[in-house]
Amino acid sequence: MSKLRNVAIVGFAQAPIVADDPHRTAPEMLYPVVKQALKNANVERKDIDYQCAGSSDYIDGRAFSFSQVMEVMGAWPPVQDSHVEMDAIWAAHLVWVKMQAEECDTAIIAGFGKVSEGSPMHVLNLQLDPFYHASLGLDHVSTSALQASAYMAKAGVDDAGLAEVAARNRAAGAKNPDTQLRQAVSAAELQKTPFVTSPLREGYLPPIGETATCLVLAAEGKAEKMCDKPVWIHGVDHRIELQTIGARDLTSSASTKLAAKNAFAMAGVKGVNDAQVVELGSTTPVEELILRDALGLSSGLGGKADGPVVNPSGSPLCANPLMNTGLLRLAEGFRQLSGRAGERAVSGAKRAVVHASAGHCLQQNIVWVLGTERRWA
Amino acid sequence: MSRAVAVVGVGQTHHASKQPDVNCAEMVRIAIDKALLDAGLSHEDIDAIVLGKAPDPLEGIMQPEQYLAGALGAHMKPIIRVHTAGSVGCTTALTAATHVASGLYGRVLTVAFEKQSEGNAMWALSPNYAFTPPMVAGAGGFFAPYCRAYIMRSGAPSHIGAVVAANARENAGRNEHAHLREPITVEDVLASPMLWDPIRFLETCPSSDGAIAIVMANEELAKKGPRKPAWLKAGATFTEPMYVPGRDQVSPLAGRTCAKHVYAKAGIKDPWNEIQVAEFYVPFSWYEPMWLENLGFAPLNEGWKVVDRGDQKFGRHLPVNPSGGVLNTNPIGASGMLRFGEAALQVMGRAGEHQVPGVKTALGHAYGGGAQYFSIAILSTEL
Repeated sequence: MSKLRNVAIVGFAQAPIVADDPHRTAPEMLYPVVKQALKNANVERKDIDYQCAGSSDYIDGRAFSFSQVMEVMGAWPPVQDSHVEMDAIWAAHLVWVKMQAEECDTAIIAGFGKVSEGSPMHVLNLQLDPFYHASLGLDHVSTSALQASAYMAKAGVDDAGLAEVAARNRAAGAKNPDTQLRQAVSAAELQKTPFVTSPLREGYLPPIGETATCLVLAAEGKAEKMCDKPVWIHGVDHRIELQTIGARDLTSSASTKLAAKNAFAMAGVKGVNDAQVVELGSTTPVEELILRDALGLSSGLGGKADGPVVNPSGSPLCANPLMNTGLLRLAEGFRQLSGRAGERAVSGAKRAVVHASAGHCLQQNIVWVLGTERRWA
Repeated sequence: MSRAVAVVGVGQTHHASKQPDVNCAEMVRIAIDKALLDAGLSHEDIDAIVLGKAPDPLEGIMQPEQYLAGALGAHMKPIIRVHTAGSVGCTTALTAATHVASGLYGRVLTVAFEKQSEGNAMWALSPNYAFTPPMVAGAGGFFAPYCRAYIMRSGAPSHIGAVVAANARENAGRNEHAHLREPITVEDVLASPMLWDPIRFLETCPSSDGAIAIVMANEELAKKGPRKPAWLKAGATFTEPMYVPGRDQVSPLAGRTCAKHVYAKAGIKDPWNEIQVAEFYVPFSWYEPMWLENLGFAPLNEGWKVVDRGDQKFGRHLPVNPSGGVLNTNPIGASGMLRFGEAALQVMGRAGEHQVPGVKTALGHAYGGGAQYFSIAILSTEL
């Protein structure tokens, strides 16, 4: 791998994740978050070169929703700006690419999604092929249930296995003051929750939630002045697969595998076990098991805890604020490696692998490798 | 920009109010196949894909890059989806250029589309925002007051808009891909119904179905191509808030700043004399003189004089929108990339019947939102 530009995460802030913030619009939720992120990075808005947001018009229930956050992102006088109609973690990737092109040195990345404006079950149906999938009435739970059934049949994992994964994440979430579900629940209790779509129970699915997030990225030379412990990007890659539910193997994630391979090569690491922390964007226990396979982690089932700590944040099973879920994974990597993870800090963590996903059944995946040291001399 | 970026292939569909024989996937595929053919490449030569389009509610498909992954040839590749309102097409092309400039991707395919016949653009372009009165008037209702303000402050005579519209249609007659090509006269425009004063029916862009795809490559790979590439000399996107007090909505600061930024990067001191052709985003006729000023081709309040003299016509000093522009073809999300792509074709000398002779430097421009998103690219025959 050729030498790239060292870029670091130097600040992050988020709004509390709640089911419905009835008093504030998306821009109102984002405003204090941008201010806090800039403060955390010891920087004023005028010293930021670039901004990029990630959001979805359908989630916010109105066209051009992102145009309403220019005021709160501080776009006056005019600023260099872009927006992706994706989870904000892809905005972070675009900014990182921009820094590799030497088009900017510092940037803020904003995520927001006013999920309570609509019904995610109905809205996420619209991501699907309008002719063959959406018209069947599939939503993200029913497609995940298809995937879960296929995986359980293949891997021999049963309901108790799913409950174990979910319970482990809920226990982790109990130590994360920034997540939404903060009560540990036993596997036995989770197994008593009703099916939403079999084999997925209520206890195996994320709550509905909304928030706003802001991450600050800076290139070497500036990053050190903005953060006491900048967290450096060592490698990253993202890949998409065909959407067609019937045309791909739902029980594995080929795109995660390839993205991880490329990200590990860029980072100069052999594999996931070179990291002490792994944060996965898994929204069901089965997604976590599939992603563990794809990254080369053990399943962790049966109480086995070898290798890196997985999902210290509690994962999206404890909070899935759409359009922010991915960026929150990157934030967890930052918090873990920069001494900002509080009670849930993984001791001695020097390297983290972060994953996020988009679309139904892990269609699109991004994998990052983060470290406490600069990657390139 | 750290590394040189070249346009090596351009492909677009024919644009129409309805393309009933294709769905979104098939429509983008037509443009992609043409662009790859143009570049002498196939899907396996592409390292990443950048997709752009305007609001998802226009077609009713959320984050359509997921459904379109197959049609885009994106399976097992990186893809990102840009949305910056009307400017998105040009911004998407510049995002693809950034990918190449980063050195991480050798060749990038960028695609923009809109299939407006799938939905109701007037509805989608009339969003309700908190604390602002709903206009339910589409983009025309939003921009008409800005055009009125322009007329008042510049003292432009009332026929200027009609002159722009008739000229744009004459230009579209030379563009085989354009949606509206039947000739119209200044009298026809003036006799057409007033929709949003001062914008008449024939001074308004159509709703179109259409797609465009562009292949970009780094210097080494571009030089291997079968044709002479168009080199991207400079590109930038600037944005300002919709409601900041004291904002100049007629000649927005973001547009002026963006133009200044790209001219400096491209080493252009006198755009009027150093650029041979420009493709502006003109969805309503009055925006042509307004952008002539905003982009520094004419002094403040004198853009209309360029139009009155006819200096922006095909065959004159600075042909503006020789393709016929947005006034005659408006698949919204693709419209900005069409400006970028048409500028590239002019530089490559392959614009066909609407080729401007002797083009060395061309400008592509798009804007969007409440005249707050700006995206500008300078393309050149020289590396």
